[in-house]
Amino acid sequence: MTADGSFLDTIKFIVREALLNGGRRYYLALIGLLIVALYGMYLWIFVQHAPIFLGKEEGGLILTDLSDSVPWGIYIAFFVFWVGVAAAGIVFGIAAYVFGDKEFKKVAVLGEVQAVAAIITVLLLITVDIGRPFRAMILMPQLPNLRSMLDWDFIVLTGYLTLNLIGMLVTVHYYRQDKPLPKKFIVPFITIAAPFAIGIHTVTAFISQALTARPIWNSPLLAPRYVATAFASGPAILLLALYLAERYMKGFKVDFSVYKKTLYVIVGSLVVGLYFTLSEVHEIFWYTTEPMKKAQAQVLFLGYHLPYLAKMMWLWIGLGIAAVILGILPRVHNSKKGIILVSVITIVAVVAEKTMTIIIPAFVPGTLGEVHPYYPTALEIGITAGVHAIGILIYLLLARPALKAVMTHYFKGSGAHH
Amino acid sequence: MEGRINQSRRDFLKVAAVAAGVSAVSFVAVSRDELKKLLVPVRVEDLIAEAAEAGSPLERRAQEREAKLKQWCQAEAEKICSSMGEDSEACKEARKRCAMIKVKATGPREGVRFAMALDVNKCIGCRRCAYACVMENNQARNLGIEWIKVLEIPREEMEIVYANMHYTDAPKPNMVYVPVACMHCEDPPCTMVCPVKATWKEPDGIVVVDYDRCIGCRYCITACPYGARRFNWAKPYVPVTELNPNMHILGNVPRQIHVVEKCTWCIQRTRDGGVPACVEVCPVGARVFGDLHDPSSPIRRVIEEYGAFVLKPEAGTRPRFFYFFGPKRTPPREPGTERETGH
Ligand code: SF4
Ligand code: SF4
Repeated sequence: MTADGSFLDTIKFIVREALLNGGRRYYLALIGLLIVALYGMYLWIFVQHAPIFLGKEEGGLILTDLSDSVPWGIYIAFFVFWVGVAAAGIVFGIAAYVFGDKEFKKVAVLGEVQAVAAIITVLLLITVDIGRPFRAMILMPQLPNLRSMLDWDFIVLTGYLTLNLIGMLVTVHYYRQDKPLPKKFIVPFITIAAPFAIGIHTVTAFISQALTARPIWNSPLLAPRYVATAFASGPAILLLALYLAERYMKGFKVDFSVYKKTLYVIVGSLVVGLYFTLSEVHEIFWYTTEPMKKAQAQVLFLGYHLPYLAKMMWLWIGLGIAAVILGILPRVHNSKKGIILVSVITIVAVVAEKTMTIIIPAFVPGTLGEVHPYYPTALEIGITAGVHAIGILIYLLLARPALKAVMTHYFKGSGAHH
Repeated sequence: MEGRINQSRRDFLKVAAVAAGVSAVSFVAVSRDELKKLLVPVRVEDLIAEAAEAGSPLERRAQEREAKLKQWCQAEAEKICSSMGEDSEACKEARKRCAMIKVKATGPREGVRFAMALDVNKCIGCRRCAYACVMENNQARNLGIEWIKVLEIPREEMEIVYANMHYTDAPKPNMVYVPVACMHCEDPPCTMVCPVKATWKEPDGIVVVDYDRCIGCRYCITACPYGARRFNWAKPYVPVTELNPNMHILGNVPRQIHVVEKCTWCIQRTRDGGVPACVEVCPVGARVFGDLHDPSSPIRRVIEEYGAFVLKPEAGTRPRFFYFFGPKRTPPREPGTERETGH
């Protein structure tokens, strides 16, 4: 069948490739993720069902460990992490279209897919966090309420999501027909998308950065730190996805230079991120005169009241340094396996840095000096896992057709196209 | 070629129709009436005006709420009466309160600017204000919600990090007691951050929450430097025998699940010319309430006579809840019980 010009056919192509053309292992993965996702959803409904589904009086967010002292927990923590991953999806695009790297052009679409999956995860995480999600939908027309950072965040996130969906669709559309991407599309696309990527993470940091009520967030370094570590974890996840794609998709090959250049970005971002952490440590432990900030920093770095926070923080510092050192060793960065190892370490390090250790210390001790520890409950972890399963599912569903289209264009005659 | 495109267009239309149908069904499921009411963009100015004028949508909402509350209350009372007997104390009490339920939507009075002050020298940390507040404002009995927190802070260093709100005996001579509730800030960060404009500052200085609009994102809790806002983590429960029937739609009407609430300076009392319950109940008269614009009001006298300060001025929110050190201490300081102050 010859591929013809309509976008609808492209969508059909994506759906067909995503759902109908997989091997056994692929379907098993889909079903596994679906089960986790459904279980998470079931748990969430169990938490929420009181107000929304049955009008019953039991249930509610009280089933989580959140409280007035710690009103934001694991959901918002991972929200921050995935916004970063989405933002960094653009790295491949920049390498490909700003610097014109041919090898990156083959994989740039993966960055868009990752951004789509990550942002959907992010939006779902907010949805499970807020108390009355349906009301939130109804109130959408209020949106351009530009005084609230949450609204800004919603606007840039959905904007970025749309942008990446378009980017992905267009890419698949052209490559599928074995045509190169038109300049008319890609130049404006990358000019808008690149600042948008920084923008989504900056706005996400601004949600907390300027709240006088939470001294530990009152650091002008918060937003840059968000962006820096995002540009370590996002590309690391991209590399992991590439590696898996190479292993499990017949005929898909990526040049080693892609791995190596991405590693430069990862190591560079890690160094900047670690440097920011050092700078904050200096300010807090040497000179700050704000007692609340000091108390919160002690929770964060020394583990008063919440030992797990300190463990995560030191995990970030330790693994971050380890990843940098490994990354600069020639033995490691000259082999694919070595680079993947550094990527995995980086992901763990940034998860430790960007999740609980950013959200929780701002609430312990709270604004009135009250210490109310927070440990995510099994319920919250289950719901978070469910949301992540949906994200990975979307990643999987979209990545395969996208890469197949790329293969049609770049690996002609490799026998990959049906 | 032509035929294929037409085919795909037809397919697209089919899919679109199904999608539209599904979304229509789901919208109806969320209750269309409510949807229509809320599907309009609003400006904060409109909300304030709405709260001020008579015959406003707010008033209509108050009436609807009143009818619903009455229904619910009578059902609850029926239950009590049938289990405890028609002439039991509880049954009579419940019946009485149900009959008295009134939900108001009183607007702010022209030119009034409320403020409150508290004498740190007088306060003995008895927490009666916190208790009265719970009763007056129909706060949930099952969630441990208290709008007023009383902090016990070492006398020589008024630093909130050292505050303890879980003390068990008071007063102690080397401590001061600092009740904290919503400060009704001049520049409230909490209202600024709300993504859906569910909370705003009224012209008379009271910061209110519209429980029907709040989506429970808890951003305002995160933004408030005084920990003044409380979230209903589960469905709040108030026994009808303890229900305060004098209600305001923006104040002490029983709240829904998953909305934020906070002190409103007893909007249901003060807008009718009364004083908040905490002021009334305080056994040592530590609290002063009044109109900042009225030269003869007690609040003006206190500020001019003693000078006042606010908590966390560095937060830049300009609270309208003042603290001052009045003339006398209660209880009197005993010699020898002062802490060493290091000289
Ligand atoms: S004390 Fe808190 S809740 Fe009250 S107005 Fe100020 S910021 Fe808002
Ligand atoms: S919790 Fe309610 S009042 Fe507070 S910011 Fe969110 S929507 Fe607004």
